[in-house]
Order: sequence, then structure tokens, then C-alpha cells
Amino acid sequence: MTNSIAEIEDAGCIFIIGSNTTACHPLIARRVYRAKEKGAKLIVADPRRIQLSRFADVAVQHRLGSDVALLNGMMHLIIANGWQAADYIQERTEDYAELEKTVREYTPEKVAAITGVSVDDIQHMAEIYATNSPAALLYAMGITQHTTGVDNVKSCCNLAMLCGNVGVAGGGVNPLRGQNNVQGACDMGGLPNVYSGYQLVNDIKSNEKFAKAWGRPLPDKPGLPVTAMIPAMLEGKLKALYVIGENPKLSDPDRNHLNHALEKLDFLLVQDIFLSETAQAADVVLAACSMAEKEGTFTNTERRCMRIRKAIDPLADTLPDWQILCRLSSALGYEMNYADPEAIFNEMAALTPSYAGMTYARLGLDGLQWPCPNADHPGTPYLHRHQFARGKGKFHAIGFLEPAELPDDEFPYFLTTGRMFAHFHTGTMTRISPNLNVEQTTGYVEIHPDDALAEEIRDGDMLTIASRRGEMEAPARITPTVRPGTLFLPMHFGENPTNILTSAEALDPIAKIPEFKVSAVKIRKFSEQMGKIPEETGAADPVEADAAAGSR
Amino acid sequence: MKARVRRWLEEGTVDVFIGYRQVDGHPLPYCFTRENLDALDGLINSPARYALEKIATHLASRQPDLKIGILSLDTNRRALNVLGIWNQINPENITTVDADDAASGVATPDDMRTFEPVVPGPYKQQVGIDNAMSPADAEAFDQSERFSRWMYEFEKCIKCYGCRNICPVCFCRECSLEHRDLIGTGPLPPDVPIFHLVRAVHMAGRCIDCGLCEEACPADISLRLLYRKVNQILDNVFEYQTGSDPGQPPFSLLGNQVTLEPKPLDADK
Amino acid sequence: MECELVPSVCSYCGTGCGVLFEVIDKELAGTLPMKTHPVNEGKLCIKGWNLHEHINSPLRLKQPLVRSFGRFLKTGWDEAIAIAARRFREIIDQYGPESVGVLVSAKITNEENYLAMKLARAVLGTNSVDHCARL
Repeated sequence: MTNSIAEIEDAGCIFIIGSNTTACHPLIARRVYRAKEKGAKLIVADPRRIQLSRFADVAVQHRLGSDVALLNGMMHLIIANGWQAADYIQERTEDYAELEKTVREYTPEKVAAITGVSVDDIQHMAEIYATNSPAALLYAMGITQHTTGVDNVKSCCNLAMLCGNVGVAGGGVNPLRGQNNVQGACDMGGLPNVYSGYQLVNDIKSNEKFAKAWGRPLPDKPGLPVTAMIPAMLEGKLKALYVIGENPKLSDPDRNHLNHALEKLDFLLVQDIFLSETAQAADVVLAACSMAEKEGTFTNTERRCMRIRKAIDPLADTLPDWQILCRLSSALGYEMNYADPEAIFNEMAALTPSYAGMTYARLGLDGLQWPCPNADHPGTPYLHRHQFARGKGKFHAIGFLEPAELPDDEFPYFLTTGRMFAHFHTGTMTRISPNLNVEQTTGYVEIHPDDALAEEIRDGDMLTIASRRGEMEAPARITPTVRPGTLFLPMHFGENPTNILTSAEALDPIAKIPEFKVSAVKIRKFSEQMGKIPEETGAADPVEADAAAGSR
Repeated sequence: MKARVRRWLEEGTVDVFIGYRQVDGHPLPYCFTRENLDALDGLINSPARYALEKIATHLASRQPDLKIGILSLDTNRRALNVLGIWNQINPENITTVDADDAASGVATPDDMRTFEPVVPGPYKQQVGIDNAMSPADAEAFDQSERFSRWMYEFEKCIKCYGCRNICPVCFCRECSLEHRDLIGTGPLPPDVPIFHLVRAVHMAGRCIDCGLCEEACPADISLRLLYRKVNQILDNVFEYQTGSDPGQPPFSLLGNQVTLEPKPLDADK
Repeated sequence: MECELVPSVCSYCGTGCGVLFEVIDKELAGTLPMKTHPVNEGKLCIKGWNLHEHINSPLRLKQPLVRSFGRFLKTGWDEAIAIAARRFREIIDQYGPESVGVLVSAKITNEENYLAMKLARAVLGTNSVDHCARL
């Protein structure tokens, strides 16, 4: 997030696109409620009618994958009405002319045709966003998990800069991160091309800096992102994989493809607190302890680095992940000896400018928001205050592109995926929590009443959903929250794995993020398939299905 | 006062004393024991309230004869009365220290983070139920407006169960809010208004108007007002003032004629 | 009887709510919202309130496992680490460091992510480090 969670309360307008905030980031949704009650305007754009839509001044359900068109349409109207922040654009940004030229083509009528949103609604959205500053834009995976993910994000930035909303309190472009420490994992260099603090591996200076600090020469060519690792496994180029605290068997696209790739590995090492679907395929499983059994820090979505503290001793013969890593490193001939996580933190902070001013003592219970470059720095509630990190904010003229896959005669439905409120990601943590599991014990597929009527589907009927990659079953939940022609599947349920259906090839060309939010599928009632032998239904192999059942 | 708690711990009047201490500028609940008497120097009063008596019930359920001291406000004492009536604690094992008694000598540090209660915004006042309203004010709206205002509040619910979880007098092992035949599961918001009304009904004779539910509600729903109304009805109909008297048995709700004594078989003859 | 309320941060979504773990006699008895935390101000969602449940799950792994003839065998740390180190060494010697990939985690701490990245780059010699930020 460019801005802070608490600042949302003081926004003049909140624009939520591609985030089901009350279900996935409930304590951020709280700030949205508070802002709304204090008088802020609320705009919600989501292919589903989400809980926050009920409270919005304008709520639209745009067609899956049409985000760029919708945002360009808003910008078209903002410029046409002269609502843009001319001084801000002049002083703080560049390449505005190209943006203006591109969005000129996105007339309300054209955008309405692409997105399915009425001209009136687009006009309202544009006016409300542009005339109630500061406007905070909130988005989540509904923006990023597309072949045009980077385009979508850049379009959000264009809109925010156009109205002078970046670098002001209560404004900003605010991606809501889905995992507790996904921000930290990125900050710490858990990416193929950067060390901690986004220092490039192929930059000679930073390469030398880390090589010197670590006492080893370091590879200077960026490595493979996870979405490229899978093809590399299939080609036999990637032979060994070390997976720490992840469950790609459920979270990665195209499960059949991935299973095949994992089988090709010579060695799979998995480190986790549960025997996840992925751990079940491992050669060696390292048993890590939980977050309540160790010390360390997490960095939340507003860049706030906070300490976690040890509450209980590690279970049985489990170890904190940091101790496992130290042991493995030492066994590989590189001694790692740290007295405690604080010693690791201090080593990291010394190498990472944005964390350089942080110590455990300074973090306290409130934490500090990076950048925090020195010991006197109070942390940074919002970014780009006086100027952009890169100097001038750059507008990117972006045209609308269709998703990789659109419904056709054979696969007539749009499918999108996401989370529901009581479960989390692949369900490894929530489905074994009795109070959470009771809220939703099985997977389901949301279908609009009109479609249900046409297909003669009743609530609870088991449906077979098939894409070009595979097929799976889930009971129908008939609800008007999805648009006719669109289905929604939650991703938490291993026995109804959404990633059987989604594509591993439809990736954003830059971010390599898979297009989980748009696939084309067909449905049929499962009962019609009764009598079919299990192998042909494309279900996971029986051994694995048993194991998955055992983990519930 | 700290000296008094120290003496209690030393002499065995209490085995554990539940109060607050300051950690990195935040007031956090803390259990003082005789194994670490020096920690008592850090005993403070907290402007941010936690359900200390709920911690006490958790301890008592594990060790029923444990003698527990609690730094108490008026609300804590009312909760303890209810918990005693419902056999969740044994009042004989509980000793309280008056936190709002200036003479107690337990200070509230100035440099500490505090908790700011909800200030209802203008939009909420326009369409919802202002948290500061009295039940009479809320009833002054005509029926359809009252309904739409309450529904506005309930539809914000994210089903965190925080109102129940934080509640010092919610102790049932099986909760009606999780009864599938009563309240559906799956979507957000939960079934409204049934979810909130089921809880409200169950607050009759239980709610001691401490307001912790409202402070825990991510959606700022005016829960305190709702439960206050329920207990007002209870007072009007049964003259039952929840939590006011540790000796008041719950069954007096049904009148003095009802007892748990077995009826003699020849009673009707 | 010992009871402690240990401050921590919720490990579900990226919001980063402050929690207190209620620890009674070294057991995790519950999770409470931290009343004065700057992020959540004494409130939590359903997942946060039940954060302790997954930690208390009987399905937790309790020791390292090694696959032998298709089945998992329980083992100790020395053996598990030795096998992992040997297999990585063999594969790197035969196919080069680029034949190894590491998936770090959005669930482990910053310190651990830093070490995992350091291990991948300085020890295994590969930049193929990634995590599920995209997924």
C-alpha cells in the first residue's frame, strides 16, 4: 500500500476494485465502513455483488477481465470534464499526453459495451472519484490475477495520479496483500531478481555488496519465477525444489500439469507445519513449528514491520524455520550460526536500506513502516509524499486487451475464483480449525438463478465443471451475487480443486501471474455422469484423495 | 494497594491476581503470581478494558479451587455476579480490588496507548442506529424506519463472532449462533436479522452492559443498545436486574413459585 | 497455575492485526484482539479469533519425515538434514546450481525469508527464488 490502513478512514472517496474486502481483509473493510459513516463516498467495482456493494454510492459488476476498459472509461470522462488535477500532473508526472491520447478512444458507449456497465454508472464513478479527494483506491487479486495484471495495476495508478491522489494522506493506490507476510517475503528478496530491499541481483554494486557480506560469489542472472519453474521441471532443467510453507499443489494454476512436473523432480524437499497436499509428494518433509512457537517479524500490507513473540514451546520434535535453514546451510558447508532471530534481523537491516533504522527495541508492539532508513526515522505512513520514488510519476498509456480465454460455444461460462470469509488460501490452516470449518465444510460453485433455471439446476445439485485443462465437481450455490454467465469457485477446498480448471499458460507477460480470475468453462449436472468410472472424471488419484480426506 | 495484593499472594488469600501491566507503551492484561512478586511493581490500571473475569473463568475451569484476585471496575463486578449465579466461578474464590477507587493506588500511566470508543459519523446517524442512542430514542423511529436502520447495522456484520467471543458472560459450549438449522452458513453478511436477534435473546439475563461487544465489533454495530433493550424488557416484566445482585438466582425469572425441587407426586391431590 | 497473554500478529491475511495469545500452563487456550493495536484497535475477524486452533491441531507435523519405498518414515533432524543436504549437493554437482529452485513463503517471518534467500543464493548458488505473491 502506498498509504496506511488507518488513513482510509479519512478518505473523501474510496474506490474498491477487485477486492472482496469484508471477506478477505475484514479489518480493512472496517476502515471503509468507518469512512463511509464519516461521510466518504464509496465506489465498488467487482464482477460479483459483494457485501460492500450494499453500502456503495455506485456499485458496478463489470465483466470479468474488463478492468482496463473500465478505468480508461473513467479517465476519459474525468479529462472530458476537466476534473483532472492539472497542477499535480504538471509538477509531478510525465507522459500525460500519451495517456490522454489513449483514453480519448474509450468513450462511455464503447466502455459500456466492453464492460457491461451502464454509461450512467461510469459517469457517476468518474465524477465521484474525481471530485471527492483524497480518494483511496483499494485493490486485491481481482486486479492482479490476470494476463493483463500489470496493465490493470498501471491503470489504477494512472487514475490515481490523474486526480492527484498519490502522495497524499488518505489517498493512494493500495494493494491489499493476501498473506500475512507476503509483503515481507518480497521485501526480503523472495523473488528471482532481487535481494532484500529490492536490490537487483544483476546490478554489479548490489551483487558485490551481498557477495562481500555473505563471503560467497553470487549468481548475477535473475532466476526463474514459480510460474517458469513448472515448465523447467517438465523439461528436466529443474531437478530439485525446496518448498517452504507453501502448498503449490492447490495454489498454483493447472494442477494436473503441476502434478506431472513435481513427479519429474529428482528431489522435492518440503518444510511445513502440516502434511499439505504438496508435502505428501515430498521426498523429505521438514517439520516446522508454528508462528506462536518462535520469535521474528512480519511486514503487513501497509509496510508495517511488527514483531511476533514466542507464546509456547515448539510442538514435539519441530523446529522454527530459521533453525532448520541454519542446520541445512551448515550441512551444505556454509556455517550459519545465529543466537536468535534478532541477530538475523540486524544482519538483514544492515544490508537493506528501507529497514536500516529498525531494531527489535524500536519496533515495540506498534512496529515501524518502511522506508525507515535510520535510527531516528519515525517510519513512513504514506509513500511518494514530495516526489515519486523514481522522480516523476509516469503515466502508462494502456489499451484494453481481452483475457486469454473467453467463453465460446464449447465452454460458454466465465469462471472466476477467490476466497470466502471463514477460510484462507488452500485451507490448510482453516479447514482444521473447528470454528472456521463449521462455517463452510465443502467447496461450492456460485451460479446465477437465471443460469440455474436454464440448466435446470437446483441449489445443492452436484455439478461437473470442465475447462480445457480438466474437470472437477462442486455443489451448486444459486445466488444473484454473480452475473448471469459467470461462475465463482472458492479456492480453499482440496477435494474441489479450482486449479484443475485454471490455466498455467495464461500469464501476465511481465509479472508472470496466472489468470486465476478468468477461465472459460462448461457445466453439467453430475448426476448425468453417474455410472462413469472414477478415472474418467479426472478426479485426483485415489491415494491422494484419501490423504486429502484424512487431513480434514 | 500493591502491598495489599503482595500480601494476599504471599499469604495465599489469592493464588493469582489478574490486572494490567505496560508492555512497550501498551496496557496488557497480566496474571501476577507469588512466584514473581516483584512484577507487582508494574501493576497498573488500564484505560483499555479487557474481560479479566473471562480469563478468570478459563483458569477456574481448569482448576476449580484456584483463588483469583481481579482488578475490577463496576462492569467486572456485575459480570462476576452473573458468572457466580451461573456456576462458572465460585464467588468464594474471587477477591476483587476496586480499580476506579482513587485510594487503590493503582495508577493509569499517562504515556500509554488508550482505546478510543466509536464516534458515530453523520452518515451512520442518517441511516443507522447511533451507538450513543438510548433505547427510547431508537424506538422513536416509526416501525419501517426502525427496521431499515437496524438492518443497515446488521448488514455490515462480517460474522467474526467477536461480540460473543469477547463477552464475559458468554460461556456456553454449544452456541445457538452456530446452530445450522437456526442460522445458515456460507455467505456474508450472515442471515440478518436472525443472527443478531438470536444473540440478543440469549443476552436476556446475561448482559451486564459492559459494552465490550461493541468495542470488539469491526462494523460498529450498536449492539450494546440492542442488548440493553432486551434487559429493559426483563426488568419491566420480571423485575430482574441482570448482574446487580450475586444472590439473585437465574430461575427467579420465572417467578417465585418455580423451584428446582422435585414436585411431590401427590401435589395435585 | 500460570497464565500469560503474549502479544503477536495474526498470520492469516496481510492486514497484520495485533493479537494476544492466552497461554495457560504452557498451552494455547485462546486468541484475543489487542485493544490498543494501531491496525485493528481491539477487533478481529473470524479467522483471527480462531488463530490458535490451527496451531493446536492434532494434524500438525511432529517430526521430520523421509520417504522410503513410497512411504513416509518418521526420522530425526540429523538424518533428515543430512539426506536433504546430500541430495542437493549431488544434484548441483551433476546438473549445476540452476537445476535447483527454492520457494520461500509468505507465511514465515522476515528473518526466515532472508535466510532462505541467502541459502538459495549464497549456498545453493541459484537465483530461482520465489513465493506465492502471485497466487
